[in-house]
Amino acid sequence: MSSETKFATITKPSEAPTGPIFGQGSQFEGLYARELLRTFRNPWVLVITIVQPFMWLLFFGSSFANVPLSALDALLHTHIQSYLQFLLPGVLSTSMLTIGMFGSMSTIQDKRFGYMKRILLTPTRRATVYLAKALGSATRGIVQIPVMVAAALLFGVRFNGDPFLWGAWILGLVLLGFGFSCMFLAVTASSSDWQTPGVISNFITMPLMFASSSLFPATNFPSWMQVIANWNPVTYSALFGRDILISGIAHWNYLGYLAIFAVLMGVIGTLVASKYLKAE
Amino acid sequence: MIGAHDSDAIWAHDLTKVYGKLTAVDHVDMEVPAGGVFGLLGPNGAGKTTIIKLLTGLSDLSAGEAMVAGFDVRRQPMEVKARIGWVAAEVILDDDFTGMENLWLQAKFQRLKDWRPRANDLLRYFDLTDRQKDKVGTYSTGMRKKLEIALALLHQPSVIFMDEPTIGLDPGTRRMLWELITGVNKEFGITVLLTSHYIEEADALCDQIAIIDHGKFVATGTPSALKSRVKGDFIELETSENVTEATLRAVPGVTEVRTQGKTWILRATSAEEVLPNLLAHVATHDIRRINVERPSLETVFLDLTGRKIEEDTNEVHDYRKFYATVRRARQ
Repeated sequence: MSSETKFATITKPSEAPTGPIFGQGSQFEGLYARELLRTFRNPWVLVITIVQPFMWLLFFGSSFANVPLSALDALLHTHIQSYLQFLLPGVLSTSMLTIGMFGSMSTIQDKRFGYMKRILLTPTRRATVYLAKALGSATRGIVQIPVMVAAALLFGVRFNGDPFLWGAWILGLVLLGFGFSCMFLAVTASSSDWQTPGVISNFITMPLMFASSSLFPATNFPSWMQVIANWNPVTYSALFGRDILISGIAHWNYLGYLAIFAVLMGVIGTLVASKYLKAE
Repeated sequence: MIGAHDSDAIWAHDLTKVYGKLTAVDHVDMEVPAGGVFGLLGPNGAGKTTIIKLLTGLSDLSAGEAMVAGFDVRRQPMEVKARIGWVAAEVILDDDFTGMENLWLQAKFQRLKDWRPRANDLLRYFDLTDRQKDKVGTYSTGMRKKLEIALALLHQPSVIFMDEPTIGLDPGTRRMLWELITGVNKEFGITVLLTSHYIEEADALCDQIAIIDHGKFVATGTPSALKSRVKGDFIELETSENVTEATLRAVPGVTEVRTQGKTWILRATSAEEVLPNLLAHVATHDIRRINVERPSLETVFLDLTGRKIEEDTNEVHDYRKFYATVRRARQ
């Protein structure tokens, strides 16, 4: 025990009574910063975030390398330089589906190790914890974008669109990622089982990835799959990005759809989490 | 609230928590005056931790009401949480962050502005200044416990909850903690509620103790008042199968015979007088072990429930559980 610090200094109880505790800004700041620091200090989290879409680009993107462009144009109903050019906005959209899973896993980790109890035994609302996790996941998702674009350029793909439109494209991806993170975290709010995110992921990720325009145009789908694709936000993110990157055209109603999806999921998820987010 | 006094740091009436079919906390009334050290003493699974969860607003009450630090736990949980400190049995910290960063996160969660000078004081006091930039994952168990207490004191709470504060700690750190708990309480009147299944710990630290079993308070009072309730001594006896209950009942001076597992528990008017009689009635080669329990909180619990709080294997078991928790948290 150090002699220079008096016992009195460390134990004196607070004299001024604190006011009503409604603000959550400070708590959100701490929680969000914790999410980001945990991510960027752990290289493996970054690697796993980037590797999966990269593999899609490399392997799936190369699977039509020997198909003549005219045949591809007919199949994809778009005039393209290469399948990679068509695929990139789609793969980045589908990868926004998976980032929610990592957010869920980090929430379950906090529950299992007790840290959620530490947070919830301070004046921090469940909704604040939830939103910090969702925004943290969406932020992790953005990291993929520059890496994937650089990889595509390296593979010889050329893109159109000005920086403003590219900004809109990225905003669309962030909205999509935030929306799916919210959905994921709400579904797993009451769970503390390591397996849950993986199970849920199969039920959300796989159907929404294939029943969207991210890998192939929906016009080739059977009608029941077209119905899903028409409601699927992944479709609108893929189309929005593809139109900008290939033709330099932005369909703003697609971005609007993504914004509505993000807000809706954010509101529903916050309500669900403030009721069902478990401390352990 | 009816029955609550302004001077109460903790007050609860009819406090109840039901999980499915299990009533973990069963209609408990409690009153802890500001400046007191209140101990919940009972075996593992008695409901001690659940009471802390209810009083800190972590779990919803199934029934009843509670006031902590002047606020209603159900209606103003945020006000309560801003005024209480919490020390977990299993030492909960973020291992990927440094000691100082853990303090910084706690300051953010507690909405503190000028927390740095106080954090530095706490680090100095707990001898952690040199390690403040190291990740908590590299700390020893004692250092982790100290840092956790620093987190609990950071926002200058008026009530501190400590769940099994010394479980799994070495004797030196345990003694340091006892001094700290007493000091925090005596010098500044911070109310302490602690749970323990260590008889010695509850006896040494608490000025009021509630003995808890199966979610109910079976007795409440000062340690000395509780001890004076018990009439006579208890003798624990392990024997071979040849010894029957009837034999033991026939021993002069034995007033009661119970069993806990393979152990006989005899109540005697006075152990000194009964032991010679016992050896006269029971063949020496049938006796494997004899242990005399002097009046203590353990005999109070024995008297009330017929069981012991600290089972013989408990210490080993607790350490294993504790280290299992730590290992799990680090993976």
